[in-house]
Order: sequence, then structure tokens, then C-alpha cells
Amino acid sequence: MRDVQVVVKRVKYKSSAKDGGGVHGILKLTRERFAFKPNDPSLSSSKALNLEFRLIKGHKSSKDLVPPLLHLTHHQGNYFFEFKNIEDRNLCRDFVAKAIPKSGGPTSEKVAPPNDEQLSSAEMMRRMKLLQEDSVLQKFHKQFVSGDVLSETEFWATRKKLLDANASIKSKQMVGLKGEMIYNVKPSSDGQSNRVTFNLTPEMIYQIFAEKPAVRQAYLDSVPNKMTEKEFWTKYWRAQYLHSTKNIVAAAAEAAEDEELAVFLKQDDILASETRHKIRKVDPTLDMEADEGDDYTHIPGHGLANENSKDELEAQYEPLKRSFLQDVNRHAAVVLEGRTIDVEAGDTRSVAEALARSKLKLAKEASDGNAHPEWLERITRMAEIEDLQAPRDPPVAPLCIKDPRDYFDSQQVNALNQLSGTRHMKSRLSTSEAYGSIRNYISESRTMGLSPELAFEVFNSLTQNISISKYQLGKNPNESVLDTLPSVAKEELWLVRDALSKIYPKLQALDAAFAHYELDHGRDQQRAAKD
Amino acid sequence: LLNPSLSSLPSSSPSITNIQTISLSIHTQNTNQNKTMKFQIEDITVYFPYDHIYPEQYSYMLDLKRSLDAKGHSLLEMPTGTGKTIALLSLITSYSLSKPSNPIKLIYCTRTVHEMEKTLAELKLLYKYQLDNIGPSARMLALGLSSRKNLCVNPDVVSAENRDSVDAGCRKLTASWVRALAAENNGIPTCDWFERYERAGSDAVLPPGVYTLQDLRVFGKEKGWCPYFLARHMVQFANVVVYSYQYLLDPKVAGIISKEMQRESVVVFDEAHNIDNVCIEALSVSVRKQTIEGATRNINKMAQEINRFKATDAGRLRAEYNRLVDGLAQRGDLPLGDTWLANPALPDDILKEAVPGNIRRAEHFLSVLRRLVQYLKGRLETDNVEKEGPLTFVNAVNSHVGIDQKMLKFCYDRLHSLMLTLEITDTDEFLHIQTICDFATLVGTYTRGFSIIIEPYDERMPHIPDPVLQLTCHDASLAIKPVFDRFQSVVITSGTLSPIDLYPRLLNFNPVVSRSFTMSLTRDCICPMVLSRGSDQLPVSTKFDLRSDPGVERNYGRLLLEMVSVVPDGIVCFFVSYSYMDAIVNSWNETGILKDIMQRKLVFIETQDVVETTLALDNYRKACDCGRGAVFFSVARGKVAEGIDFDRHYGRLVIMFGVPFQYTLSKILLARLEYLRETFQIKEGDFLTFDALRQAAQCVGRVIRSKADYGMMIFADKRYTRHDKRSKLPGWILSHLRDAHLNLSTDMAVHIAREFLRKMAQPYDKTGGGKKTLLSQEDLEEMNGNEGMMF
Repeated sequence: MRDVQVVVKRVKYKSSAKDGGGVHGILKLTRERFAFKPNDPSLSSSKALNLEFRLIKGHKSSKDLVPPLLHLTHHQGNYFFEFKNIEDRNLCRDFVAKAIPKSGGPTSEKVAPPNDEQLSSAEMMRRMKLLQEDSVLQKFHKQFVSGDVLSETEFWATRKKLLDANASIKSKQMVGLKGEMIYNVKPSSDGQSNRVTFNLTPEMIYQIFAEKPAVRQAYLDSVPNKMTEKEFWTKYWRAQYLHSTKNIVAAAAEAAEDEELAVFLKQDDILASETRHKIRKVDPTLDMEADEGDDYTHIPGHGLANENSKDELEAQYEPLKRSFLQDVNRHAAVVLEGRTIDVEAGDTRSVAEALARSKLKLAKEASDGNAHPEWLERITRMAEIEDLQAPRDPPVAPLCIKDPRDYFDSQQVNALNQLSGTRHMKSRLSTSEAYGSIRNYISESRTMGLSPELAFEVFNSLTQNISISKYQLGKNPNESVLDTLPSVAKEELWLVRDALSKIYPKLQALDAAFAHYELDHGRDQQRAAKD
Repeated sequence: LLNPSLSSLPSSSPSITNIQTISLSIHTQNTNQNKTMKFQIEDITVYFPYDHIYPEQYSYMLDLKRSLDAKGHSLLEMPTGTGKTIALLSLITSYSLSKPSNPIKLIYCTRTVHEMEKTLAELKLLYKYQLDNIGPSARMLALGLSSRKNLCVNPDVVSAENRDSVDAGCRKLTASWVRALAAENNGIPTCDWFERYERAGSDAVLPPGVYTLQDLRVFGKEKGWCPYFLARHMVQFANVVVYSYQYLLDPKVAGIISKEMQRESVVVFDEAHNIDNVCIEALSVSVRKQTIEGATRNINKMAQEINRFKATDAGRLRAEYNRLVDGLAQRGDLPLGDTWLANPALPDDILKEAVPGNIRRAEHFLSVLRRLVQYLKGRLETDNVEKEGPLTFVNAVNSHVGIDQKMLKFCYDRLHSLMLTLEITDTDEFLHIQTICDFATLVGTYTRGFSIIIEPYDERMPHIPDPVLQLTCHDASLAIKPVFDRFQSVVITSGTLSPIDLYPRLLNFNPVVSRSFTMSLTRDCICPMVLSRGSDQLPVSTKFDLRSDPGVERNYGRLLLEMVSVVPDGIVCFFVSYSYMDAIVNSWNETGILKDIMQRKLVFIETQDVVETTLALDNYRKACDCGRGAVFFSVARGKVAEGIDFDRHYGRLVIMFGVPFQYTLSKILLARLEYLRETFQIKEGDFLTFDALRQAAQCVGRVIRSKADYGMMIFADKRYTRHDKRSKLPGWILSHLRDAHLNLSTDMAVHIAREFLRKMAQPYDKTGGGKKTLLSQEDLEEMNGNEGMMF
């Protein structure tokens, strides 16, 4: 690409960035000059451009990607070109970036910084992350991009798949919640005045909404109709503060006066009904509630008096009793549930709404279906004593290849011996055959019901061996077993992987192996390109 | 070993050999998963549903078998995690199968409903295996029994919030008079399930099989029969009945549920280390202000009812009077729907005579009750703690309000009769007056082994007046005596019965076999440690003077913090009481330790709300299953410590913070200690230590499920270093407690934990090599052969 001398793109030429109209035409970039020719020949006299790059002081491109603009600064004026898509723009931008220093000399700044600016921050982050994760890739990046061999765009263009793969994983897997209770903060006080300050972050709001449905509901009901967001949270923290003082009488008094405040202090009704739903689904070997229903010593007045009976006195404050221990349990439950919605934290209202929706869905799921075969099976498994019998996991003999190089070498020698003559063709054919068979086998066992654990086990050991062998093959480090497969087969293997990932979610090991392979493959391509 | 589906590949292809060799790692054979054991123990053929058996299971069976032969009682301590339950079930069912002419019935008592479910799950496994191997002759009926709350399928009834309301809701639909009314009048609702069950008559039976509560409900729904009444009916025909202790020990319940069990039954009390407390609870009653108020309301309500009946149906009251004159026991053949809790006193102690004349008339009885309630109310208004024996109390009642001992004794039966006569169905509203009558009957029946304690307030919160009058039983042997007398074999078994000679004294019986088994381990899979010092080398303890020391709280927090970063999966912490746990969690929260712990693992806490605790446990298991890891905070003597297992990855480490002594200033405990000293010559200190250590052992013992499992136990209190305390731990824990682990500080404990976990993660030989910790059928046959040669 660095040999490209001319770039021609369809653009719209504008005199300012905010110009709604613009002139359609063709932009032609060469090493030394750029030229714009309008489609409408009548405008060619007024709008046509043909300038030298060395007159251009600098260039910019729009950060927000719509519309993709390229802005060239001339000492006489500015030129704006709107492109059809970002790729075109980036291409031209890179071209311009290279052209300017060549012709413009010292006036133009270094290429890299403006380039970085133009990418969306998410894209940037993704690239950075990839580089951080992979030292080899980082090395390449340093070598090529910093060494001005490739432009940033070009470097990543060949690794599009890496970026895409990453993106697709990202969309499927949501970031979990933090383990700590971040909303459980102590107020900060400046020590002089009689006021305390609470800091609230979107992450905290998310946690509060997820863990306290009553607060979420109150928010949806009263903001912004009855009060502003700020008032709402002030009230919330006021309630928290009251609660933290453990002065239940004062809290009760305040709650009696202020109905909205009371919502924050009272037991969470939505939570209580959720709890009732959940308790029905609980594993009977854990169900202590059933005990309560069975135990005849729990008739009031029977049995020995125990610790908890003394609370009966404060029945009037009962609705206000909310222990910290309950909050801890609730928090852990929410963290365990994970992020159920995919809304950017920040917009409080949409977060609240999305959470309310997802809860509704969960409740619906919980209410239908009485039988719970999964825990029935689990009880049976739990009842067994594991070491008194053959293991219940799929019977798997450990794959034991002491020296993978020996192993693969010998296999190759075998192959070559048997198929001397048309060996190349034949070997390819047979690998595809072999691959076809294994694929059939997998799809067959998928329909027939190969247990996902088993599949995982096999693929795990397979990929592990492949990766081990790859590193130990020494003399030819980039030769992987997967390379011997035809490219069709490789794509199929990806499909298989996708299918498997549906069966069994814990395919990280496999993923890692494939990612490695993919990277290798990318490198190979690069090498091929260079050659 | 080739996978069958892969053998269809063209074998000429070289690369296939590659793949095949890799695929060799799968061999999906499921051949003969049911290769299980069948062996002789003396004259009994035992069917055991596993491929191997632990040697201690074998000797456990042997001892159990001998006690069955001797038709005597036995006391067997067997470490947790050695498959006690399956060994027991397997032997007793096999015993029954071997003697088809005289099959014995197994009554298996668990402490909790969830343990019942676990037991039935194991029994299901066993039953399946026996059916497969013996055929139809192995058929049996096994079922769990619980209350209406857990068995009812009528959605209108079961939705009520507690057991009493469900009971009452059921009675409102099934009481004989309600049904009689409904027969005449279409508008009166009845329970469809009960009606269909009644109509089916003798056809309503459960086919052979093993039924958990869930299975019973499913079966009931399918057939349209009431599962509760069906189960109650089938209990007399079942080969195995699993229910909770109260159904045998509490006379109120045993009187209705268990009265028809035949003598030729084996009664098993599993996890019986607390059995003395259950016995005592069954015969104890307490009366509070609310009880008095409620009882007064109940009496007024009954008075109204009596007046109403006098006006409309005076014949009914006269009929009742005549029945009582004839001395007819009220608890004769009542229709199924009418029974409720029986007399709180033990059957042998109830005199077979007619209700005394002065309480036969309903209004007279009510006035007696009024006077009694008034008297109790007066007694509650005291400023001092009072303690007296039942005799003194009865005399005082007699001299103050003129109610003699005999009238007191008949209170419960008389109330029962009256409530039937008045056709009261909302029994849940009448609990308070029932409590008063329970109290009266017990105090009128027993002259020894009880005391009455009146406390104006809780010792720990003297500023809150909370008067309570308690009738407490001190003698555990009272409640269990009828069980020992009635059934030919009673087996008391648990992982913690040390010292084993104490139980026969507490329960007053003579076991024919009394044995404590040790654990043969393939590898040292349990690692008990005593941690006496924190990370700053200062002693840690929950002793009264150190309890609220911030240094101790911090050291405990540091210990847990270090451990959450070292130990994978689940960690369980036990605290000595709810209040202590609450305080320490709050303090950890203040100091930020809790936050640090949360960064490593999720935290779940047992609260006093069972529903919440159940959900917390469920989530805890999920967190351990998915690999997130979690810590569970629980309380010794609490509900979780009582019956939830933390085996496998659900508990790799248990930390017992402190020594779980009972609250030693409690008047009830002091009275009991005094009784124990005077009657059994058991020293107070000994009993308290014994009681604390059995709780501690019970808490930590829940980590092991089998010999393939592993777990650590940390006793975090300097008092465990003392020999007199430590030696009360069961032998199987003591034998793994190395001298080097007796006096550790936090950093040393962390080091040991690291080492231990690394060692346990290695693959190992399950059979134990030369040590013989797993026996196969051949091994057993060989052993039997050798024994034969020896004799």
C-alpha cells in the first residue's frame, strides 16, 4: 500500500464543516498534489481545485464519525471534504499525512498523534488492549508503525478479524459487577461546617437500583415529576444517614413525616415478593423454610426461650428494621446474578427502566414451570459418595503425548511414506477428509447428545496439545497442526467452535488456542505480504 | 478403547490416525455403571449400591447388625464423610429383606426437613439398585412425612404464611362438621383433594417406591388425592418412614402421628448429638405477656360461643357433658380431619380416668381457665427472678385460685373436647389458650425433672421489661423414655457423640452396642488447626473479657482476609452467637476489612429470617458452583450449623471463631446444670465444655463428605489449646490434629493452608495402596474367608 501513488475517491467538497450542501465530485490525491473536480462541469471553474501539498499547513479529520470529514488547512483558506465512508476518509487521511511531511517539510506535525485522535475512543481502547495483551503484536506494531513502514490503519486492516473477534466477544459478554459494596460509603465531612457530603457515581447508582428495587421504583415514579434528580438522591442519602445512626426511633419519626423518605427506610416490598418467588425454586435439601413448617416446637410459647424472641416488643418499628446483614446478602446475590442489562451507565433513568424490565422478565420466568429437573438431578448427584464408585464424569483417559514433536514428526513420516508420489495433493485431500469426519462426528454427537463436558474435555486436551506442540516444535515455530488443514477446513473449524461454544460456555481455553492460531496466521499473512 | 463412532473413519488416511489417537482420550463406555456390591454380614446378605465400601462402613454395619440381632439399643459415633446414612439404610433394608417372614420397619428420624430430603435421595439410590438386582421381591414403600404446610396441594390453603394457618385452613375445609354441613348445603367450600381421597377409601394407596415430599405432592396432584392424609395413612404400612424428631419425641405430635407404629421397628435418630436438647424442648413451655393477653381473648371468644350454643343448640353442650361423665376419652376415633396436636404429656403419664367433675361443664371449665390466666398474669408482675419446682407451684395455684393438681392435669384434654364441641376450626387463633393448657397439663403431671422460672427481663437487656414464665424440663430421658420402651431397637448415631459414655447417662438407657469409629484415610484430607494468636501475635478469643476488644476483632478479620485470598471456592465461618456475628460484621464493615474480603469472595450471611437464609445459602452454592467463590457467615447452634452440609467445593475451610459456649448466665441453663449435678453427678464445667465442643465439632465436621473430599478446620480461640477443652473433640478430629498445629498464629496458619491445598490438589491413588481404605467385594469375601478360618 505504501507504493500507492494515486488515490481517487468520490467526495463532497464544502467550504466549511457546517456547510449543509457541498459539491459532489472526485478527489484525486497524488504524491505532490491534490485535485478536486466537481461532477457538474458547470461548477468546475469556481469549485475545481488543484493544489500542491506543500502549501497545506495541516490536516484534521472529524472525530465524530458522521459525516466523515477531512479538513485541509491552506494558508489561504480551509478545504473540507466529506467522504462516503470512514475507510475512504482514513485512506485519504493517511495519504495526506504522508504527503504533507514530504512536501510540506517542517510545518506539519508528526503523523501519529492526529491519527490517534481521529479514532473513536472505544476503537482506540480495543487496539490498545490488544497490544497490551499480546507482546508479539506489540513488537510488530512498534516495528512497523513506529518505524513508518505501515500506517496505523494499514497495520490494523490486516488484523481486522482480531478486532472483530474481540468486538463480538465483547458484545456477548458483559462486564460483571464489582464485589465490593461501592454504595456503602461513609459520608465525607469537611470537619468545619455541620454538613456531610456523599459522592455518587453512575456505577453506584446502578448498584443501588439493582439491589434496591424500591428505590428504583421510587425514582421512576417521582423523578422528574415530583422532584429533581438531585433532590431525590439527597433524600436517599438522608435516609441512609438516618439508618446508619441506628436510631430507629428518630428514623421512624422522620419516616412518619416524609412519605417519600419512608420509602427508603422501609422494607423493600418488591424485594419481598421476589423472595417469595425465589423460595419456591430453592433446592429442597437446603430449604430451611420447610423446616419451620414442620417443627412443632415453633408454636409460640413452646420450647426453650431463645435469643430472637425479645424483638417482639418493638413490633411498631418492625417495618423499619433493616439490618446491614440483609444488605450484604442482597448485594452478593445481585453480584452473582451479574449484569442483566446492557445499558451504558450514565443515564440514570434508562438504567432504572432497563432494570425494571429485566426484573419483570425474570419474575415471569420464575413463575412458570414447577418441576425443576436440574435440582432433582443435582440432589441425586449430591447424595452419591464419589470415591466409592466409578466417577460420574465422562470416562476420559488422559491424553499422553510425551514429546509432541516426535509424535507429529512420526505421523508426518508415516503420511509421506504411504503417499509417496502425489503426496502433496493426497495429503491435503486426506486431511480434509479427516477433518470432514471429525466434523461429522461432532455434529452427530451434537444431535445424539455428546455431553458438553466430554466435548470440552476432548477439545481442551486437543488444543492444549496443539499449542504445546507448537511451542516445542522448535525448528519451525510458526508451524501449527492447524496449518496442515486446508483453509476451508479452518473456517469450518471456526464454525465448529462457535457451535461448541453454544454447547459449553467455558471454552476460554479453546478460544485462547484459536486466538493464538489466528494471530500466527495473521503474522504469516503479513510475512507473505512482505515477501 | 476406540470410540465406536470414530471407527467408521477411513482407516487408510494418515492424518486420521492423528485424530484418532487424540480421540482415544474419549471412551464413552458406560459399561455397567451399576457394578455394585453384594456381600454377607454373618447371615445377612447386604446390598450396597456402590462399587466399593469403606472399612468403617463395614464395621458400622456389623455392629448395627449385632444390635438388631440382640433387639437392643445402640449408640454409634461415626465420623462425618464416611457414608453413615447409606451404610445404615443399606444394612437395615437388607436385614429386612433377609428375613421376609418378619420384616422390620425402619423409622428414620432427622432433625430437619432438608435432611429428610437428603436421606430419601440416598434411599432412592439404594432402592433402585436393590430392585435391579433382586427384582420385585425387593419392593418396598418408603416415604417422608411432614406437616400440612409442606404437603398440602390445595392452593387456597397452602398459600397461608405459616404452619398454623395452613393447619387451620385445612381444618376449615375438612373438619367433620364442615363436611356434614357441606353435604346439606352446596355453598360451603370443602377441599376437593380431601373429598376425592375420602371417596377413594381403601383404594387410596401409594404404590411401592421411595417418596420425597415433592414426590408425594406430585402423586397427590396426579391422582387428585390429598397427599398429607394419604401419607399419614400410609405411614402404618410403609417399610421406611422418614420424619423429624418431633414426630416421635414430642408427645403432642407423637400422640397422633406415631401411635400406630409396631414394636418391631428400628428407630434411628440421625445427627443425634443434640437429642437431649430436642427432648427437653419438647416438654418445655413458656408464657409471656402476649400469651396471657391472647388467652384472655380466646376465653372471651369461647364464652360467646358457649352462650350462642346455649341459645341455639343446648343439646350439644349437654351431650358433651354426658360424654365426659362416662369418661370417654376425647381422643377416641376422631374423623381424620378433626385431629390436632395431642396431649403434651407423655402417654404413660396420662391417667386413664374421667375428667374431674368440676370442669365437666363448659362454663365451669372456662372460669377455671380464667382464674388460671389471672394467676399467671399476677405471677408475671414480679421484679425478681423466681424459681420453684412444679409441686410448690401447683400448691400455690391451689391455695390462691383453688385449682387442684388434677384439674390442671386435665386442662388440655378438656380444652380439646370443648373446642371440638364448639366446632372451632380457626385453631391458629387459639394457640395462646392451647399454650396455657399445655403448661397446666405439664405442671400438673410431672413432679420432678422440671422447674418454673419467672424472669422479669432478659439478663442481657435489663432496661427492657419482658417478663416470661417458663416451665423448663431438665431431664432429657423423660421424653425419650417411651421411645426406648416401645421400640425394640433404637439407634442413636452422629458424627459427634463424644464422650460417648455421657449419652446413656443423659438419656437413661443401656445400649447393647456403644462404639466410636475412627476414620481410615487414604490421605490426610482433613486438616484441623488451632489458631491462638492473630497476625500481631496477641491472643484471640471470644472469652467475655476479650470479646469486644477491637484488637481481637481485627485479628479475626485479618485471619479471614488472609484465608479468602488463599483458599479456593467456599469458606464457612461460624460465630458463637447472632449478636456476636452482627457486632463483628459491623465492625469489619467500619474498618474496611469486609470490603477487602468482598473483593476476593462474595459474602453471604445467615440471618434470623429463615427465608432469607435459605436464599443466601442457595446463592452461596451457586457462587461456589460457578467458581466465583464465596464466604458464608453462620452461627454455631443456628439453623445452618444444624443441618447444612458444606462438603466438597462448598466448603474447603471452616473457621470456628471462638468456643460456642451457651449463655452461662441463663437461668434455665443454671437450673439444668444444677439438676444434672444432683441427679447424674455431672459437673457443670464438664457439661458446658462438652456442650460447646460438640457444637464446634458439629460445625467443622460438615466439610467432609467422602474420602475424596478435603477440607481445613480452624479453631480460632486460644482456649482450644487447653487440653481439657480440646480433648472433648471427637477422636477422628483429634487424631488429625498434629502437635505442630496446636498453637498457631495467622501467618503460620496461612502457610499451612497453602501447603495443604497444594498437596490436596495432586492426583492420588483412591484405593489407598497398601492401607486398604476402600474395600471391594473381593476384599470383603477374602476377609470373611479369613475370619472363617480363624474361628
